[in-house]
Amino acid sequence: MRELRERLGSRSFILMAILGPMVVLTFTFLIFQFGGKDQQKWHVLIVDPANIMEHKIMSAEDPNIQYSFATNYIEIEQFANDKRFADFDAMVEVNEKILSNKSSFLFYREKPSFTMSVNIRYQVERRLEEVLAKQFTKLSVAEFRKIKQPLNFAFRNVYDPKDVKSDMAGWVGLFFGAVIFVFIFLFGMTILRSVSREKTNRVVEILLATVKPRSLMLGKILGIGISAFLQVFLWCLIIGLGLYFMRETIFVDIYDASNQAAGQVSDYNQFVELVFDRVQFGVMLFYFSLFFACGYLFYGAFFAALGAVSGSESDGQQFLIPLILILCFALYAGYFALENPDSPWTTFLMYFPFTAPVVAMVKLAMGFADGDAYQLFVSLFLLLVSSVGVIAIAARLFKNGLLQFGHTLRFKNIILWLKVK
Amino acid sequence: MLEIQELTKRYQRKAAIDQVSFSLRKGEIFGLLGPNGAGKTTLIRIINKIIEPDSGTIRFNGDLLQQKHLAHIGYLPEERGLYKQMTVEAHAHFLGALRGMSKSEINTSLDYWLKKFNCADWRKRRIQELSKGMAQKVQFIFAVLHEPDLLILDEPFSGFDPVNVELIKAEMQEMKAKGKTILISTHNMRSVEEICDRVVLIHQSKKVLEGRVSEIQDQQKTGEYAVKFRGNMIAFVNALWIGFELIDKEILGDDRFIAHVKMRGDNSFEDLLKTLMGQVKIEAAWEVLPSMNEVFIATVTTDSDEK
Repeated sequence: MRELRERLGSRSFILMAILGPMVVLTFTFLIFQFGGKDQQKWHVLIVDPANIMEHKIMSAEDPNIQYSFATNYIEIEQFANDKRFADFDAMVEVNEKILSNKSSFLFYREKPSFTMSVNIRYQVERRLEEVLAKQFTKLSVAEFRKIKQPLNFAFRNVYDPKDVKSDMAGWVGLFFGAVIFVFIFLFGMTILRSVSREKTNRVVEILLATVKPRSLMLGKILGIGISAFLQVFLWCLIIGLGLYFMRETIFVDIYDASNQAAGQVSDYNQFVELVFDRVQFGVMLFYFSLFFACGYLFYGAFFAALGAVSGSESDGQQFLIPLILILCFALYAGYFALENPDSPWTTFLMYFPFTAPVVAMVKLAMGFADGDAYQLFVSLFLLLVSSVGVIAIAARLFKNGLLQFGHTLRFKNIILWLKVK
Repeated sequence: MLEIQELTKRYQRKAAIDQVSFSLRKGEIFGLLGPNGAGKTTLIRIINKIIEPDSGTIRFNGDLLQQKHLAHIGYLPEERGLYKQMTVEAHAHFLGALRGMSKSEINTSLDYWLKKFNCADWRKRRIQELSKGMAQKVQFIFAVLHEPDLLILDEPFSGFDPVNVELIKAEMQEMKAKGKTILISTHNMRSVEEICDRVVLIHQSKKVLEGRVSEIQDQQKTGEYAVKFRGNMIAFVNALWIGFELIDKEILGDDRFIAHVKMRGDNSFEDLLKTLMGQVKIEAAWEVLPSMNEVFIATVTTDSDEK
């Protein structure tokens, strides 16, 4: 409780809780408000043999994207190699099956920028939703969107059409994973510093005369962890409210008739559309919380043990480097999973407790193949079991190292303290 | 009150404490003595359950020492440590809560001790704003805040000025009068003589001496007596003749001396006084007992030589 109170009462916690999400929101706004000014300019061919889209795509013209329509069938190889299509940067395949399987592909020559892919996805999906709403219901587009099922609109390299690695949702997962690791690192360092400080000022001897070392370590990890959780919660809350505010005031729905009537039209509401419609925040945040909690316990125990066995604060810094490298590797593992979602290595990294939180978030965001969802639970279970194991080992190091002062930490010390019961 | 039986603690192959046994009685001040590295701190940490012994037992009021007993033990470690950012009051609440005290108990006790030590206005001050001596005082208050039955003080006088040393000593005597037991580890032998009822001396991990302070001094006395007199030194020496031996003398001025004398044969202290009367004017005479400092040095040196 002392740890928690100290963290919550500190100026840095309050600053971080408010300024952090505000900075994220500001960057988000700036990127999508102004980032579009120097976008790529694309010429997109929409292959629509059934004339589903009726040769139109959006009510206001996008200066960066020019759409052309073809009503005949065009094969991927033909588009890729035929000089007649050389002027087109991408081809969107809209066949008659889209009305039933809600699935469509975009084949590109060069990988689109993030903004470009968001724009095209948004514009094509919106138009298709209009078509679907008109075709199957008597609902307005806005009403239809409330009950709609997601459309699978995937981006593929025209020269490698089966490749599915550039799935934008994966980046969202990587973002969540990165957030987990940033918070683990920040609050792990807080644990390390707190333990080191208590060793340095010797208050630890008084504490150990009242509580067991294991309780002290767990109390420290949990106290700081709860403050970390509160911090994350505040981030989610503020960013969520901020995005909602942006959606309602700045990035309003341009296809909603009522909004059009009110004149609240913007060219850059794609991001909010992505954030609010494509990312399953409920599921993501639920698993984010679980992986964050388990990952924090797993790494937190390492930081606590490191603080306890260090002879001085500077001593701990040098042993921190391997831990930071592992954290960096975990982030890279997340990127690897993004690029190679179906690799057996990705599955391994999802089960490997050091990398599990970030890889699992990437995989979760990208979606599991049918029958593979169990992997998420296996990953979580293994991480939880590993956390318990690491806490048990760390508790022994914590107990045996906490009352050792002034030494220079060596691996043989660690081995020795691990052996002593 | 506290029985320590055959306590042993080893670090790798080296014994920090080796088969040490002694006991503390209720309402006494007990001195734990020993040179640096003897194992005193290890012993204190074991009593506080900070570390576990390899073998041996500790009984607290007849029961095997358990975690629950720590609420009845107060501890002032040698290396003083406090959270510098916290106020005195917040710190007291934190440590009091760890000892199982309620908020009102903590407030009442803190009020009492702050007033007693004339530092009531420190309550809202941060620890970092206090001088070293003030922080020491505050730490003593934190150690006794929960009115422990057993108070363990590791070098309690270090860092205190003479005035505060006397204050702490007086407080210890008061606690003793209330039936509290105090275990004190110190190198300050004069304080040991002044306040300890019994002592145990640990040397090279083993107990080498235990008993009442006066008994130990008595055991180690050398049959030396001191006589403070006014008169002629030659007359004094002549009077001793063959029945007594002059060991040492101290000239005080104004024809006053302190002479250290040993008996020869069956002569007693009374015989010495009878012999000297009429030869010099005796102002005082007493049996010279070794100081605890001398006992400490003699025991430790002898024990090391034997080994």
